[in-house]
Amino acid sequence: MRLRYAVVCSSNQNRSMEAHFLLKREGFDVCSYGTGTHVKLPGPSLREPNVYEFGTPYKQMFDDLRRKDPELYKRNGILPMLKRNLAVKTAPQRWQENGPDGQFDVVFTFEEKVFDVVVEDLHNRVQVLLKPVLVINLEVKDNHEEAAVGARQTLTLCQEREAIDRWEDVIDDVISTFERQHRRKVVYTISFY
Amino acid sequence: MSSSSQREQALSLLAAANNHGDLAVKLSSLKQAKDIIIISSIDDDFSLFADQLFPYLVQLQSSHHSLVRKTLIEVVEDISLKTMEHSPVLMPVLLTLLNDDDSVVARHSIVAGTHIFCSVLEELALQFHRHGFVERWLEEMWSWMLKFKDAVSRIALEARPVGPRLLAIKFLEICVLLFMPDNDSRGHIAEVPKSSQVFNISWLAGGHPVLDSIALQSEANRSFMILLDLLRLASGHPGCITISVVNSLATIGRRRQVHYSSVLSALLDFDANLISKGAHTPSIQYSLRTAFLGFLRSTHPVIMESREKLLKVLRAMNAGDAADQVMRQVDKMIRNGERAARDARASKDEQPSSHMLKRSTPMDQEHIVSSDSSSKRSRYGSIIQSESGQNHSVNGVSTKAQPLANGLTPVEQMIAMIGALLAEGERGAESLEILISQIHPDLLADIVVTNMKHLPKNPPLLTTVTRQNGPPTSSSLGAPTMPNHVLTNTISSELPTTASSTNLQPDLKRESRRDPRRLDPRRGALPGGTSSEHIMEDFTTSAQPGLAESDVDMSALFKRQPPPPPVLSSAENASEIVMPKAETESHDPENITFSLELVPDEQATQVGADMEFNIVSDVATPPIDYVNKELNAEKSTDIVMTDEEHSLSFMDDDQLSPCTVDTPVLEETSVELPVVPSYVELTEKQQKDIRKLAIKRIIDSYKQLRGAEFMQTRMALLSRLVAQVDADDDVIMMIQKHIVSDYQDQKGHELVMHVLYHLHALKMSDSSEDSSVAFVYEKFLLGVAKCLLDVLPANDKSFSRLFSEAPFLPESAFKLLDDICCSDNNCGKDIRDGDRVHQGLGSLWSLILGRPNNRQAFLDIALRCAVHPKDDIRSKAIRLVANKLYVIEIISEKIEDFATNKLLSAVNKPVSEAEQRTEGQIGSQETSISGSQISEPGTSNIDPATGSQSDSQSDSSMSPALAQQHLSLFFALCIKKPSLLQLVFDRYDYAPKAVKQAIHRHVPILIRALGPSYKDLLKIISDPPQGSENLLTLVMQVMCEGTTPSADLVVTVKRLYETKLKDATILIPILSTFTKNEVLPIFPRLVQLPLDKFQTALAHILQGSAHMGPALTPAEVLVAIHDISPEKDGVPLKKVMDACSACFEQRTVFTQQVLAKALNQMVDQTPLPLLFMRTVIQAIDAFPKLVDFVMELLSKLVSKQVWRMPKLWVGFLKCISQTQPHSFRVLLQLPSPQLEGALNKYGSLRGPLAAYANQPSIKASLPRSTLQALGLASEPQLQQQNHAASFNNPDKSAKVQGT
Repeated sequence: MRLRYAVVCSSNQNRSMEAHFLLKREGFDVCSYGTGTHVKLPGPSLREPNVYEFGTPYKQMFDDLRRKDPELYKRNGILPMLKRNLAVKTAPQRWQENGPDGQFDVVFTFEEKVFDVVVEDLHNRVQVLLKPVLVINLEVKDNHEEAAVGARQTLTLCQEREAIDRWEDVIDDVISTFERQHRRKVVYTISFY
Repeated sequence: MSSSSQREQALSLLAAANNHGDLAVKLSSLKQAKDIIIISSIDDDFSLFADQLFPYLVQLQSSHHSLVRKTLIEVVEDISLKTMEHSPVLMPVLLTLLNDDDSVVARHSIVAGTHIFCSVLEELALQFHRHGFVERWLEEMWSWMLKFKDAVSRIALEARPVGPRLLAIKFLEICVLLFMPDNDSRGHIAEVPKSSQVFNISWLAGGHPVLDSIALQSEANRSFMILLDLLRLASGHPGCITISVVNSLATIGRRRQVHYSSVLSALLDFDANLISKGAHTPSIQYSLRTAFLGFLRSTHPVIMESREKLLKVLRAMNAGDAADQVMRQVDKMIRNGERAARDARASKDEQPSSHMLKRSTPMDQEHIVSSDSSSKRSRYGSIIQSESGQNHSVNGVSTKAQPLANGLTPVEQMIAMIGALLAEGERGAESLEILISQIHPDLLADIVVTNMKHLPKNPPLLTTVTRQNGPPTSSSLGAPTMPNHVLTNTISSELPTTASSTNLQPDLKRESRRDPRRLDPRRGALPGGTSSEHIMEDFTTSAQPGLAESDVDMSALFKRQPPPPPVLSSAENASEIVMPKAETESHDPENITFSLELVPDEQATQVGADMEFNIVSDVATPPIDYVNKELNAEKSTDIVMTDEEHSLSFMDDDQLSPCTVDTPVLEETSVELPVVPSYVELTEKQQKDIRKLAIKRIIDSYKQLRGAEFMQTRMALLSRLVAQVDADDDVIMMIQKHIVSDYQDQKGHELVMHVLYHLHALKMSDSSEDSSVAFVYEKFLLGVAKCLLDVLPANDKSFSRLFSEAPFLPESAFKLLDDICCSDNNCGKDIRDGDRVHQGLGSLWSLILGRPNNRQAFLDIALRCAVHPKDDIRSKAIRLVANKLYVIEIISEKIEDFATNKLLSAVNKPVSEAEQRTEGQIGSQETSISGSQISEPGTSNIDPATGSQSDSQSDSSMSPALAQQHLSLFFALCIKKPSLLQLVFDRYDYAPKAVKQAIHRHVPILIRALGPSYKDLLKIISDPPQGSENLLTLVMQVMCEGTTPSADLVVTVKRLYETKLKDATILIPILSTFTKNEVLPIFPRLVQLPLDKFQTALAHILQGSAHMGPALTPAEVLVAIHDISPEKDGVPLKKVMDACSACFEQRTVFTQQVLAKALNQMVDQTPLPLLFMRTVIQAIDAFPKLVDFVMELLSKLVSKQVWRMPKLWVGFLKCISQTQPHSFRVLLQLPSPQLEGALNKYGSLRGPLAAYANQPSIKASLPRSTLQALGLASEPQLQQQNHAASFNNPDKSAKVQGT
């Protein structure tokens, strides 16, 4: 059975979508989510972010921002990002509401805060299936460049995961080796569905 | 398909699965066979079928295809869950495959087994509940399950593939959760409804033939211990095992608070060093962090208590931000809960008006019951109704039709909607659940109230259902004054007995055992909380007496049901008699009933649970343990106690609807009301105990009720209760503890104030009880104060606030303050560290400001501190007194007086004879003032730095430290008010040595602090009292130190010098400002000073002021010194010589050039200075290079006929003698008589001089007489003369040398 992956960041825009895009292109079964209460995109200033509800189509955001200030949003990479996103899926989805999407085998988060939310959320769900889920946090800064790096490394981890049969036995090694090779802090935990 | 053909097909499929070569065929056959088995399981003769088929299935476990085994497990799971009755035979498969080599298979069998395990457990409980017995097959299944459990527990511990072990750990967690009672679901509203395990250990509370809840709990404990062991042995496990264990323990800790503390300590103790080599340490640490954060999210009181600790640990883990965020979230949640409660109450408050309106019109009973009962009461019903809603509305479909026609109110619309959903049956149930959870509690309540119209009309009898501890029901109905709520009490306690559904009843016992308030739903009103919680809040908020009529009604309803079937139950568990099954079967179809089958949704169950819980809490039964303890006491104790508690709350709660409103209804609806408990006279001790208990309960309630609800009520209650319990130590301790723990929120303070004011008011109003109330008051106040001191940090202001705002401070309060600030008997304790003193003093300050009545007392304490022997206490107190208190006009005088007294007492300290002597002196001085008498001997011996005056009278009884202690305050005041210094000056002379030293130590500090504004000081300086010269000098020194003295000062000092005080010492500090003309007249006086003072003066003179330059150059100084005439100026020659020497010592100042210049000036003077030659000799000694210059000087002297000045002449000759042979030329210039005299005196000169003169060039220029004198002309004669002279003058030469 194909392994199912989830990639999660805060707004399901940049980091998770970058990873989603890449993993999808590589043929993985992947979904992406955000854990925030809203989808937030940078605005004209730090104090005026563009806030959308989860579920608002990327296309709609794209149009909205293009109407507001095409120059600004092109320059800061938001419009290109949205364009990429709308090619991947319709709208940002919220992790906490992903119950119907079924169970994942591996969940990648890109920020400790997000990791905490995901773990807590899994803890609060009904755990009857006893299906283990590996949750991995890969600390990735929320900018386009880092997101690209993060996505590539996520892909590496996914490929390694695919290569092993009984992940429970080797997960410590895999994580440690990955940390050494990529000089990146990784934390994992195990939860259940 | 007929059953036989099915059977055959299944058999062939199983055979294929067993024997077919192709794996795919095997798998698909197996699955098909499973489908058939499940389909045919409904057949009557399935057991036969199963007997035939299952052995084949079991065979498959030895298939060498792991996929087949894996599929087999799935099949076994499915079949077992569907046809449990027949599956014991399949269980060995499960157990065998647990140990399968393929970890995937093993994993699957654990999962499958776990599912079956839960299901068997549930079935066990339910079967017994429904049928009253447990079938054999189920028992057999259970025994398999126990084996399974043991096997899985082993897996968790064994070194195996990690996958199965992870699941085994999870299984252990599930076991713990299943077997440990979830004794507080309130704190975890969010978690409970989601709990997949339908089984609840509490179902077994009534006893179970197979399952023993105690045994199960010990099983749970065993599993829990395994988990703890796993954590302890983390070094031997892969990282992900440890992570799983941590996660599982965290889950257990959060959901079963019984284990929370052990989980927490295990996690806290977890040693990172134990982590095995290969494990990923950061992840394990992060899992701990996650666990702690999870705890922090919990609002359960047990967990809340450890919040501080958690925060600390998290901060140490660098997770402080995350922790803070969680805290914020939780606080927000709690606030939201409170707000919701407030809203609910607010909307409730609006209702009574309409309620009253309606009441005024006569209505039939039904109406009263349905809509007229106040919302407070109806809420109560609402819960039951909402639970029973489905059933009820189904019955009353007709009611919905009517309002549909008209314009519908929101309530009616809702009812219609609910009705429609119910009509859909199973399908609508889910939507209904969602709908109900979304409805605002008030609306829901209204819905229920409106719907109550359809309740049966005739109020049924209240049959005698006795409570486990409720004999009061047997007493007479009489007592019209009996508050209604007592009745409520009885009834509501019965309610759950009949009303609640299935799993609720056992809860009653369990719930009531704990303090109900601890479980206030408010705490649990999480965002995820359902509307039912809100209802419950309302209910609790409105939990007032006077529920009677609706209560009666509701309970009456339930009473109509036939009496519960006599199921085995102990007397204690009387309330658990009714079994849901029995109820369902026996109920009258018309009635509102509850049954498991009809109320399948969890929501309703939850609601029911809440209801029951709240009823219990309202009734306020005492904790069981109390009851047990007080077995001897009347059993009605609890009720009376409740009564009291309520009646007390009556007094304060203005929300209360008057009792009278209820009374008529009560009479109407329940004419046949049974039995209310009689009024019971309690003994003193019982009363006391009950009061105590009441206090305890109220205090406990604080832990739950975070918000301001009932704040006033509770305060009022507590204050009255405290007043009643007299001075019971326990109670006061208890309240103190509570107050202090709550102090941060300021609520503690309010409470204390409330209590204190109440006690005070009692005291004021009631003089008879005066003493005891006063005693309680005092005890309480002091107790709290001490607690605050002990518990809160020293910088906390609570203590001071307490004393500031208390209505009255008893004597002992002063003593306490005194103890904090300055008592030194408990120096050993570190309580009184600096901070404490600081705190005490701070309190004093605010008290002095805020309590004018006691001002003097506080001031006294402060002042006492200000002369405390301990330096740090004293300095703190002095700072307070001088900086803060002294500025307050009304008390400044007192402070001044105190300080002055202290000063005077210090000065006059040696009270005995020393004092007398001092006084005698004063007397004598008054009569015979003679400045010189005092200044002369005094000044000459004074060392200003140490003030070591010859203080013969200074008594050793006054140590320097003591003097310091007494003077510090005064000097601190002087800084604020320099004129006070006058006193110091006045008294200086009489002060003992130690005091003087203390003064000397203080003065510099004082003067520096005063800065340039010393007008008062100038005044003192201008007229210093007798004997204060020393001090004056010191003052002057400090004043002029490092700066140019101000013109005022200079003028003042000069005037002083000119008029009164002829002591040049005082001029020294200002000398630098003097001009040459000013210095010269006083120069002799300066020379006259002791040498060191002169040196200082010299330095000042030479230094000069910045803008004027030095008054005198070094050369001028030398000249000035030489100009002093001992006779005329009255300066001893010795002093002048010393002064000269002092100059010569400073070779860097008085250089060769300076000397030459000075000597050059002086040589031209007439008369020559007396010491001129001496200085010349010293100069040539010091600077031999000056020899040529000196020779010139000597020549000049020759020309001035130096031999005519006898004193100089001697020196001259000595100089000649010392400077030979350079001096020969000068010597030869002397007239021959003088030359001869000189040669006679210094015979040794003759030879060399003759040789010198004999040189042809020189001899030629010499006059004959000279030659003669040298014997170059007539030598023998001359020689004789020479000899005679040298013999005649030995004294003289000696004398010259001496001068």
